[in-house]
Amino acid sequence: MTALLQAAAARAPAARIGMALFVALFFAWLFGPLVLMGITAFNSSAFPRVSPWECFSVEWFEALAGDKALMEGLRNSVVIGLGVVALAVPTGLAGALMLMQVGERARPWYYSVVISPILIPGVVLGISTLVFWDRIGAMFGAGHKTFFYDGVFLTVIGQATFISAYCMLVFISRLQRFNPALHEAALDLGATQLQAFRKVLLPFLKPAIASAAVLAFLASFENYNTTVFTIASESTLTTVLAGKVRYGINPSVSALAVVIAAVTLLFAAVLEVARRRRQRAAAESEKIARGLLRSRTRKKPLLLEPALLMIVTVFVAGAGTAWFAGSIGLEECKAAVLEEKRRDAEERVRTFQQRQMFRRAAPQAN
Amino acid sequence: MTPLRHLREFHRRNGAGLSLFLIGATGFWILFMIVLPQLFMADFSFRANVPPPKWGTPEHYYTLEHYRYMIYGGGGEGSFNVIDLRVFFKTIGAAMLVTLFDAALCYPIAWHLAQAARGGWARLMVLALVVPFWVNEILRAFAFHILFGASGVLNSALMAAGVLDEPYDFVRENIALYAGLGYAFILLMIFPIYNAMESLDKNQVEAARDLGASRWRIHRRVVMPHAKPGITSGCTMVFMLTAGALAAPQILGGPGSLWFTQIIYQAFNQAGNWARGSAYAIILLVSCIVLVLALMKAFKVRLGEIAR
Repeated sequence: MTALLQAAAARAPAARIGMALFVALFFAWLFGPLVLMGITAFNSSAFPRVSPWECFSVEWFEALAGDKALMEGLRNSVVIGLGVVALAVPTGLAGALMLMQVGERARPWYYSVVISPILIPGVVLGISTLVFWDRIGAMFGAGHKTFFYDGVFLTVIGQATFISAYCMLVFISRLQRFNPALHEAALDLGATQLQAFRKVLLPFLKPAIASAAVLAFLASFENYNTTVFTIASESTLTTVLAGKVRYGINPSVSALAVVIAAVTLLFAAVLEVARRRRQRAAAESEKIARGLLRSRTRKKPLLLEPALLMIVTVFVAGAGTAWFAGSIGLEECKAAVLEEKRRDAEERVRTFQQRQMFRRAAPQAN
Repeated sequence: MTPLRHLREFHRRNGAGLSLFLIGATGFWILFMIVLPQLFMADFSFRANVPPPKWGTPEHYYTLEHYRYMIYGGGGEGSFNVIDLRVFFKTIGAAMLVTLFDAALCYPIAWHLAQAARGGWARLMVLALVVPFWVNEILRAFAFHILFGASGVLNSALMAAGVLDEPYDFVRENIALYAGLGYAFILLMIFPIYNAMESLDKNQVEAARDLGASRWRIHRRVVMPHAKPGITSGCTMVFMLTAGALAAPQILGGPGSLWFTQIIYQAFNQAGNWARGSAYAIILLVSCIVLVLALMKAFKVRLGEIAR
């Protein structure tokens, strides 16, 4: 196999280099814009830009924490995200379990209906949710203070419509590996259906529930298309952000992106370390089962894993250094930049005046 | 009688509590979140545009005026609603081009990921693909704004290199928009193709190679047929999301150009014309579905194979 691959590589090194180049370019395209945006967060220039570079500063991060509208939106986003998790995960689970039980003939129909929210444009979902609950509220004669018109409620419902389908897909792929004999055995041993569900199926689905919850929260947190219609007079992080980006750009938006990227990277690192740990534990169990190992090595808390500790240290050190570097000499640097700009402007005025004088002088010479 | 028998069988298999949960949750989802809202929106789109207090009264009569407006506009006989129609066809056409571009870009990457990359390297690549998409959609569009803006990175670089004398307006020419849209949903193109390719037996490719097939022929006759459901599924997702995108056009669109979703947004949030907004939303939905069904028919892929 390897020999064959090597032979192939020897046959066409140019193609391999071409492919590597393509992959490199692709990832540059993927990360380039985000990296550049991250850099603008540290430039003291009032407009997000990389060049001209003025001063290294963290003031845009400080502006972020003081932004009331953004914090209000962030709070709503978290509330909505939790609401969506609470609604979409059980709904997706029910949808997946139902799919296993629907009759042969009804299955394609059922599947088409429950999968459709993924394909319906988010804008359309938002509008239909808005119109539907408005009409239902009117039928009950509910006032405008009731939940039928509440932005947070409508947004949770609107987002859960399609996020439930995401969760369902997660559960379906896990359920495909479920051995129904386990369930049968539980029933044969005298468990009620509910007990069998709680003691056999739910533990089996636990990892899927966790990943569905994470997926649901992330999808909700970053949704814009549906939210912008259902949110009514409230706001979420994304709607506040969209407003900021559309009217009047400043680098605090870049600073927010840096914060989000840092949090997600940290999160991804935690997930990766947790996965490695699970793998290691599984390998250990197998060794124990084969009698190669007497007992398990004692489990450290997740946060004390060396890899994770290192990453956290790097993050904290990086943030500390940035804060420190951004605060020393910032005033002097800004003053210098201002001075330079002033000199620049003066220079321009002077050349302008000189040109005017020449122009005035020219006709006299005639 | 049969539905009742089915129900009894369902009850026997699941017990009372679980049956109630399954039927209640899926029932609420299907009825109150999927089907009825769409029907109510369709109903609303066929009604006159009257202020909210008159909704449900006889003045809220049925009419086709919003659909007629989309085609003929408010002008006299024989005139067409050139603005909205042009935006509509531009949106659909551009979404198709973006989809094709993404497919062409992602196919080699997915191939590399599925066949050439291995072990830790492949995992790292997958992670590197996913991470940029955990950053908010709006922030990603913003990043493109910084890249393409008048005093943006690209203009500064091109001017410093002496290629340009004065900034080129990438935003006005919609280059920023198309680049941003092409970037926005790329993940949903790569993973379906990757999933389909991963299940391809490497021996098939090697057999074809040993039999003397050229690289192009291997892809044409072995890999592409195998990855077809993945390609179709990726194209479907990217097309629907691009045609229905709102954030990227709002942030990256040139001042003189609109995306169809922006017209819907304006009808709702600026003109307060919910009826027309609903009608336009229905038009967008139906045309997207028709196009996707046509695509699936052409490539002989079923809906069940999509969205995995």
